[in-house]
Amino acid sequence: MFFHIVLERNMQLHPRHFGRDLRPKLVSKLMKDVEGTCSGRHGFIVAITGVENVGNGLIRDGTGFVTFPVKYQCVVFRPFKGEILEAVVTMVNKMGFFAEAGPVQIFVSNHLIPDDMEFQSGDMPNYTTSDGSVKIQKESEVRLKIIGTRVDATEIFCIGTIKDDFLGVISDPTS
Amino acid sequence: MSAEEEENAAELKIGDEFLKAKCLMNCEVAIILDHKYEQLQQTSEDPMNQMSQVFEKSLQYVKRFSRYKNPDTVRQVREILSRYQLAEFELCVLGNLCPETVEEAIAMVPSIRSRGRGLDDDAIEKMLHDLSLIKKFD
Repeated sequence: MFFHIVLERNMQLHPRHFGRDLRPKLVSKLMKDVEGTCSGRHGFIVAITGVENVGNGLIRDGTGFVTFPVKYQCVVFRPFKGEILEAVVTMVNKMGFFAEAGPVQIFVSNHLIPDDMEFQSGDMPNYTTSDGSVKIQKESEVRLKIIGTRVDATEIFCIGTIKDDFLGVISDPTS
Repeated sequence: MSAEEEENAAELKIGDEFLKAKCLMNCEVAIILDHKYEQLQQTSEDPMNQMSQVFEKSLQYVKRFSRYKNPDTVRQVREILSRYQLAEFELCVLGNLCPETVEEAIAMVPSIRSRGRGLDDDAIEKMLHDLSLIKKFD
């Protein structure tokens, strides 16, 4: 899910930027530093939408750098266990399939794909029901439920399922 | 890490910080990111290069999965859903997935039944009906 939240960060600025452009410099550095990053707690920082407040700077001993506490609003994407969302299938193999929902990757293991869907290999590997009416392949849109998340320093990775009511394919690229 | 283990969106356990935060539906995110992208295009010669991969992927995603395109409609959807004492998170899941039946809505957002807000089947039915009407006129 996407959220609009306020975060705070201490920004270090070199003395050469001190002058009337200090604030714009601080803001552009902030964007460069945090947009596109990911933390386990807040998820992916997609875009900064505004700066609420720049606190008083503190001169660092010995270097001349100044640290400013900056409060900013941003759009973040944070997946949760138990959340249901829509995603695009990016890769299918016999282990299951990978899907993407915005910046996050979700893996759905073949144990969590309905039992009546069989893996079919070929140049367009896919999972298909025996009557051929439902097919999951690359670029299919699926609705899935996140059942687990793994967080490391720069990425969040999710495990999902489509083996539940009202989950599964929404549209496939061939139809 | 006990907080991490207890996390479960189906029971609305998403941590205090996010529970109080403003949630955004995909269509709202699309409006914000589009606006930001336009701004970037005006100020920089090479906007593609300025964007992070996270930004690019999010923009593609929300454009693909936006149920409502028109900003006025998006506002209406939020207004209608906010009449039903939903948590921000629940409101956005419903706005994103647009369930068609009461059963589907409860499967998508199990917490709407478990918090004793007097949201019975009829109320949910009415909410879904209101939503589908907006969609028709989008």
